[in-house]
Amino acid sequence: MNQASFVPQHPPALPPVPVAFSGNRGDFFRLAARGAALELVTVGFYRFWLVTDIRRHLWSHTVVDGDAAEYTGRAKELLIGFLFALAILVPIYLAYFLISVEAERYKAFASFPLVVGFYAFGQFAIYRARRYRLTRTVWRGVRFWMDGSGWAYAWRAMLWGLLALLTLGLIFPWREAALERYKMQHSYYGELQGSFEGRGWELFKRCWWLWLLSPVAIVLFPLAPFFYAEFKAREWRWWLSGIRFGGVRVESTLPRTALYGLYWKVIGWFMLLSIVTGAYFGLCGFLFAKISGAEPDTLTKSIPLLILFGIGYLAMILSLNVVMRLYLQRDVWAKVSGLLQVHGIEAAANVAVRGDLASALGEGFADGLDVAGF
Amino acid sequence: MDSTAADAAVAGPGGGPAIYFDGLSSRRQEVVVAFKEALEITADGLSPVSSQVSSQVSSSVSSQVSSSVSWAYSDIRRADSGPGTLRVACLSAPSLARLEIRDAAVAAELMSRCALLGDNRLGGRGIAKIVGWSLAATISIVVVVLFAIPLAADRLTPLVPEAFEQRLGDAAAVQLKTLFGGRVCDTAAGQAAFSKLIDTLRKSADLDLLVQPTVLATPIPNALALPGGRIYLLNGLLAKAETPDEIAGVLAHELGHLKHRDSMRELIYNGGTSFLIGLLFGDVTGSSAVIFASRSLVTSSYSRDAEQNADTFSIDVMQRLGRSPKAMGELLFRVTGKEGNRSLSILAGHPLTEDRLKRMSEADRPASGSPLLTDTEWSALKSICGPGKS
Repeated sequence: MNQASFVPQHPPALPPVPVAFSGNRGDFFRLAARGAALELVTVGFYRFWLVTDIRRHLWSHTVVDGDAAEYTGRAKELLIGFLFALAILVPIYLAYFLISVEAERYKAFASFPLVVGFYAFGQFAIYRARRYRLTRTVWRGVRFWMDGSGWAYAWRAMLWGLLALLTLGLIFPWREAALERYKMQHSYYGELQGSFEGRGWELFKRCWWLWLLSPVAIVLFPLAPFFYAEFKAREWRWWLSGIRFGGVRVESTLPRTALYGLYWKVIGWFMLLSIVTGAYFGLCGFLFAKISGAEPDTLTKSIPLLILFGIGYLAMILSLNVVMRLYLQRDVWAKVSGLLQVHGIEAAANVAVRGDLASALGEGFADGLDVAGF
Repeated sequence: MDSTAADAAVAGPGGGPAIYFDGLSSRRQEVVVAFKEALEITADGLSPVSSQVSSQVSSSVSSQVSSSVSWAYSDIRRADSGPGTLRVACLSAPSLARLEIRDAAVAAELMSRCALLGDNRLGGRGIAKIVGWSLAATISIVVVVLFAIPLAADRLTPLVPEAFEQRLGDAAAVQLKTLFGGRVCDTAAGQAAFSKLIDTLRKSADLDLLVQPTVLATPIPNALALPGGRIYLLNGLLAKAETPDEIAGVLAHELGHLKHRDSMRELIYNGGTSFLIGLLFGDVTGSSAVIFASRSLVTSSYSRDAEQNADTFSIDVMQRLGRSPKAMGELLFRVTGKEGNRSLSILAGHPLTEDRLKRMSEADRPASGSPLLTDTEWSALKSICGPGKS
């Protein structure tokens, strides 16, 4: 199984090939804006199609060694996965309710440990969602795929989570490394098995001072975005540089300050949108009081005004949605993938297809439980 | 399909270079495509395709290397690709086989020959379909929330075993005591007066269920009934009361909730609606602002109905005892003041206090029955949490 043993048979080490992102920002903006509007009209059901469109855009504009990747997942799969997840989650919620009634009889809030069960479910969902995404990723006519068990992963994530809790998060880098190792060891590109070479100690060395300074960020909260951006950039670089598929090695040169601008732009937009929405609320209230001549404290009773407020609120949420997708998904993707290099790509020149498609059940759970993970 | 090779030669290029992935391995093959009856894909004769096969490739793959493949135009579909490349797949080929054409003229020629090229794209009709189905789903969920769940709650409540309701009440009682500090007032004389009051009301209402009344030492002016026959009177309300009739009215109201099993019904109703509305907005646990807003709108109208019924029950009981139903309204008014200006009536879980007072005043008649408590019993009840403490 050890594919790495083939590498010595290719003596001339070719120079690394860069990864390029060729997506047009305007195209993505139109995609996200139209998607947000349709999400509003369909009270959220369009999210399956929007997520699929976004992934298709990002994947198909990411070019590795001259060939763009392809996302073959479809929105209907996500919808079906969501419905399946619901069918499983409903009885679980019911059981959760009955058990918590029993537990609360003995001690108030004794049912809290049940929340831990949902955490495990969330970890399972994260693993299975990644598996779905990976099996829908195709490059040069060969798909990635994944085996391993979602529950085995959830179990590991729980144990590491407990350790992280006991050490106040100090052990977080080792948790990340161990969990990623599990995920990558069960990931394949065709017949090339993946592995993860990032070490917890490496991430710890790069981030320990951020961990120490995190209480400062709580007091001086304007510093928090800097800390977060710094941490994210370091984490991305560490994670990507650890990825292996057989003899193929990925290397990221993402500078530690690379994401500062993006996070601040999101915060700037958030402030701007809040001010605009606030002004709109004020103006509505003022004009309404002028026209109807009502007293200020009766305003909260008027239905037309509440509808106007509702429209303003929705407009703000939708614009924020577009801003987040544009900066935090598209721009982060473009920046991170643009600073990637792939070494030993010749090991992937002739890889046979293997592996099956996974169902979108995990994505459905992740949607139903509101967990996010990569 | 009906265009011949000869037509093609006139209309555009007869073929050109392309890159082919056979869908069985990641080998990148430089090929030549030719527009014949079907799309002919031929390995570039000069490039030694087969010699690239390295030790990594299993024999099954290398045997698949064919010199020529043909794809029917009607089977060709577009696949996602970056700018400047036309990438196509074929329904009758391995699902991941791809042909990439970078020459604009060749790409244009292929597009003109494949009528069903863009079939897997979501067009305007597809979007209209999604919108239509979402609206249908929304309407059906709204109908279910407004009509089916109240009906289900009414029908299901009598089916819930008393024992389960008792357990539910036990669980809620433990939480309640934790929230309110948990000090139970049980001065002997006060407790005796309290029990007498409850028993009088219970007999008059013809309720045979076991009632466990408790006074909790907290300044919050409120009273509540939990499933399984527990009634909690918070001392704050007792401190604000001026006559036994006021407290009797409130207790009769809570007995009404117990009789109608409102907590159980509300539990089923709230659980059902939050689940369905959560489903609508894609979050089963139901936490976001939209969910909160629409949920409170729907469930408060339901609980307003329940409150109205409990008020009716209280008025009935007080009239049967020959005491004033209006007293409870006056106590409520003293606690809340006029509510009309402050809160939005459709969001409130109770009817507005002034409306309740009005309704109770209309039902008021001169007292004909004997007082429910003697003066000594009343003052014992007032000081059930210890003398001079509210």
